[in-house]
Amino acid sequence: MRQVPVIGPIRRGLQSDFALRFRRSRNAMIGSVLVSIVLVVAIFAPWLAPYDYEQINMLAIWRPPGGEHLLGTDALGRDVFSRILIGARVSLTVAGSVLAITLTIGVTLGMIAGYFGGWAETIIMRTVDIIFAFPELILAILVAAVLGTGTTTVIIALSLVWWPGIARLTRSLVLSLREEMFVDAAIASGTRSWRILLRHLLPNIASPIIVRASVGVGFIIMAEATLSFLGIGVQEPTPTWGGMIRDGLAALRTDPHLALFTSLALAITIIGFNLLGDGLRDLLDPKVRDQ
Amino acid sequence: MSVREPLLQVDGLTVEFATLRHRLKVLEDVSLTVHPGEIVGLVGESGSGKSVTAMSVMGLLPDIAGVASGSIGFDGTELTGLSRKAMREMRGRDMAMIFQEPMTSLNPVHTVSFQIGEVLVEHFGASPAQAHAKAVELMAAVGIPDAARRALDYPHQLSGGMRQRVMIAMAMACQPKLLLADEPTTALDVTIQAQILDLMRSLRDQFNMAILMITHDLGVIAQMAERVVVMYAGQVVEEGTAAQIFDRPAHPYTRLLIRSIPSARHKSARLDAIPGSTPSAHAFPQGCRFHPRCPEAVDRCRTETQALHGLPEGRSSRCWRSLEALQDTVAAS
Amino acid sequence: MTMALLEVQDLTKEFVVERSLLGAQRATLRAVHNVSFKMAPGETLGIVGESGCGKTTLGRLILRLLDPTGGSIRFDGQDITHLSLRQMRGLRQDIQVVFQDPYSSLNPRLTVRAIIGEPLSNFGFSTAEITRRVGEVMEVVGLQPDTMDRNPHAFSGGQRQRIGIARALALRPKLIVCDEAVSALDVSIQAQILNLLADIQQEFGLTLLFISHNLGVIRHVSHRIAVMYLGEIVELATERDLFENPLHPYTRALISAVPEADIHERTERVPLDGEIPSPVNPPPGCPFHTRCPIARPRCGSDLPDYREWSPRRMVRCHFPGEALPTFAETATERALP
Repeated sequence: MRQVPVIGPIRRGLQSDFALRFRRSRNAMIGSVLVSIVLVVAIFAPWLAPYDYEQINMLAIWRPPGGEHLLGTDALGRDVFSRILIGARVSLTVAGSVLAITLTIGVTLGMIAGYFGGWAETIIMRTVDIIFAFPELILAILVAAVLGTGTTTVIIALSLVWWPGIARLTRSLVLSLREEMFVDAAIASGTRSWRILLRHLLPNIASPIIVRASVGVGFIIMAEATLSFLGIGVQEPTPTWGGMIRDGLAALRTDPHLALFTSLALAITIIGFNLLGDGLRDLLDPKVRDQ
Repeated sequence: MSVREPLLQVDGLTVEFATLRHRLKVLEDVSLTVHPGEIVGLVGESGSGKSVTAMSVMGLLPDIAGVASGSIGFDGTELTGLSRKAMREMRGRDMAMIFQEPMTSLNPVHTVSFQIGEVLVEHFGASPAQAHAKAVELMAAVGIPDAARRALDYPHQLSGGMRQRVMIAMAMACQPKLLLADEPTTALDVTIQAQILDLMRSLRDQFNMAILMITHDLGVIAQMAERVVVMYAGQVVEEGTAAQIFDRPAHPYTRLLIRSIPSARHKSARLDAIPGSTPSAHAFPQGCRFHPRCPEAVDRCRTETQALHGLPEGRSSRCWRSLEALQDTVAAS
Repeated sequence: MTMALLEVQDLTKEFVVERSLLGAQRATLRAVHNVSFKMAPGETLGIVGESGCGKTTLGRLILRLLDPTGGSIRFDGQDITHLSLRQMRGLRQDIQVVFQDPYSSLNPRLTVRAIIGEPLSNFGFSTAEITRRVGEVMEVVGLQPDTMDRNPHAFSGGQRQRIGIARALALRPKLIVCDEAVSALDVSIQAQILNLLADIQQEFGLTLLFISHNLGVIRHVSHRIAVMYLGEIVELATERDLFENPLHPYTRALISAVPEADIHERTERVPLDGEIPSPVNPPPGCPFHTRCPIARPRCGSDLPDYREWSPRRMVRCHFPGEALPTFAETATERALP
C-alpha cells in the first residue's frame, strides 16, 4: 500500500511555493545574482566597454590598474576591462551553443535509448561509452587538430565531449519514469510512442536536466578557456578569458593584473552557475524538497 | 471496568506540525488508556492522526513536530518532558514498536541476529555471544523455523512475513510492557497476516504484554482488540470495548465505516459509502469535524465544537447525539 | 451460449531473471502458467490471490503491455496474442485499464482535461468534441466538469481514482481491467469507488476483469472468481460456489484467513504454515503441496489437471472438497512458543 504523506505542504499554489523556497535558498539566490550580472555584461558588453577591445596602443602597454584604464592594459596596450567584458560574451556564446547542441542530441538519443531499448539503445549507449573512454580534453584537441582552430571548432569539440553525459542522464531518467503507471496508462489508451515521449516523458525529466545544464555551463566555460589557453580555441584578436589568462601568465611576475582579473571573472562566472545549479537541484529534487 | 492503574495514559494530547507556511494541529485533545496485558485497537483512515499518536508515545516525532499540550503517562513516568537520553532508555526496554514495512526498519548490512542482540547489548550489557544465543532463542520463539541458521541471514534473504517476525523478536528482546504495532500486517498477505496476528496474541498471553494495535483495517481490530479507539481528523471520536464498538457503534462515523467494508462472509448488494473525502490538517472543518460527510448532521453539528464525553457502560463518543442513538438501538432490539 | 468477449487459453509468461555472461538464460521466473478462462460480455470476473501469484502479470498480458511466452488471448473473436504495439492501437478503444495507484497512474504535469482526453485525441476526436465528452464522463464518475483544467495534485486520492476511471471510460470500451483499483484507498472511499464501478458497469454494459488481493472486495464485485496461486488458477467458480463451498484447500485457507470486521465471526482458521515458494523455483507437482494441510505423496509429483468439477466450475486439485483440519483442532498438537 502506498504511503500517502499525512502532512504535506499545501498543494495548491505550487508555483508560489517554488518562489518562496527559491528566496530561502541562499545558493540559488547568490547563484542567480552572479549569473544575471554575467548575462547582462555579456549582452551589453559593446556598450559597457569604455574602450574598443581591439584598439592597440603601444605607448600604453602593461599599464597597472587605476587611472585611465580601470583594470590596466595588456602587452599591446589594449584595455583589460573592455576585453574581459567582450570575453564574457564569447564565453557565453560558446557555452550557449554547446548547450543547445548537446541538449538536443543528448536528450533525443537518451530518450530513444531509454524508452525503446533494443538495438537502438545498444548502438547509442556503446557510442557513449567509447566517447567516455577518452579524456575530454584530448578528444577536444583531436577535433581541433582535424578541423583547425576557431570558434566553430571549439563548439563542435565541446559538443562532442559533452552530449554523452546528457544522453546517459536522460536515459536513466527515462528508465525510471518508464516504471510509472501513467506511461502504461498512455500505452493502454493507444497513445503513439512519439507522443508519449513528448507529452509524458519530456516534461517530467526537464527539471533534472535543467539542473545538469546550469552546472554544465560552468564546466563548458572552463573547457573553452582551457582550449583557448592551449591556443587551439577562439583566435586573436577576439578576446577570450582562456587566451587572456595565457597571455597574463607570461607576465605574472611583473604585471599580474591581467591574469588575476581575468581569472577572477572566470571564477565568478563558474561559481555563479554552480551555485545556481546546486540551488535548483535542492529546489527541484522532491526528496530534498519535502523535508 | 477494572480499577487497575493504566500502563499508558495519554491525556488531552495536542501535537502541532510546523510547515513552511502553517502551524498545523494534527492531533487535538487525544486521550486514550492502555492497561497492562490489554490489546487496544487504534483505528482510523489516512490523516486521522493514529500514527502521529503512536510516534508521540514513542518520542519519535519528527523535528518539525511538537507536543503543544497534554500529557503522556507511561508506567508512572511522564514522557512529554523527558530528555532524549531518558526516552531512548525507555524505548526498547519498556516499550517497543513494530512498523508496517519491516524491510526499511531493518538495517540491510547486519545479520538479523546482530540486530536482535543489539538491544540486549545496549540495555543489559550482554556479551556478543550471549546476545547471539538469546537472539536465536527469540527467533525460535516467534516461529522462525531453523532459527540457528536463519540468525546469520541478512534481512533481504528473508520474506516479508519472516522479516516481520524478526521485528517482533527484536521488540520482544527486552520483554517490553507495551508493544506499539503500527499497521504490522498491512504489507503482508492475508495468510501470513493471520500467522502474525496469532503470534502477537500468543505473545501477549505468555508475557502479559499490552499491545496498542494501530491500523486502518477494522477486520484486524475486530479479531484482535479488546478495546477500540476510533480516530477521525486528528481527534478521538469514539472509544469503547470491541463489543460496544462493533455491535452498537455510538458515533455515526464508526457506524458508517463498519458498514462500508465489503465482507467475505456474505455478498452485499450495495455498500454504504461515506460521501466526500477525509479532510486534511490544513482544513479541518468547523464544528464536528465529521459533519460535512455525516448524513445525520444538523445545524448544531456545523457550528458547535464537539467534546469527547462519557456514555453509559464506560464508553465515550464525540457525537452529541450518541446517547439518543444508543437508546434507539436498545429500543429497537 | 453467447460468444465469449475474452478467451484466454493456456496463457504463460516467463521472465528471465538472470542471464549468464554470454546471454544464455540461467533462471526463469514463471509468473503465469497455463491460465485458461472465458469471459462473457457484461460479466465481472474476479482474480484473487496473494502477492507473487501472477494476477497483475495476467492483467498486463491481457492488456498486451507484456508479450506472452505461450498460449493465446482472443478478444471479441480476434486473436490478439501476437499483435504488435501498433496493431494493438486500434483495439485500445475496446480494452481499457484502471490502475491501483491513483498517484503514479496520472501524469502530474497534465491537466485533468488532457488526461481524460488523451484516449479521445488518440482516436481523432476534435478539440470541441473532446471537451464535451470529457465533461460528460467526468459527470458520470462524480467529478465536477468545471475542474477539468486543474492538475491531478488538486484532487484527493479517491477523486484521482475517479479521474483514472473516467479516462478508462472515455472511449466507451467493452472490457476494463481493474488492477487493484481500490487497494490504495481508505475504506470509506473504497466503498464509493466500488459503488461507482457497479453503476457504470450497469449503465454501459461493461465487462470487468477485477484483480485484487482483498477477498471482501472480490466477493462484492464479482460474478465469477478465479483464485490464483504461484501463477496458476487453482479454482474458478461463481462467487456463491467459491465462498459457500470452496473446493481447493488453498481457497478454503485463504477465505478462512480473512479477518472479518465482526467480533462474532472470530475465524475458524485453516492453519496454513510456511510461505509461498519462489516462482523462480516452483515446487514439482501441485504448486500448493508444500503448504497444503491434506497433501499426499502424489501431490508432490503429479500436477493435478485443471478439470471441470461441475458446469462452470474448474479446480486444479487431486482431492478437491476434502475436509480440512481447522486451527482449533490442530492447536493442541502445535505447542506454542
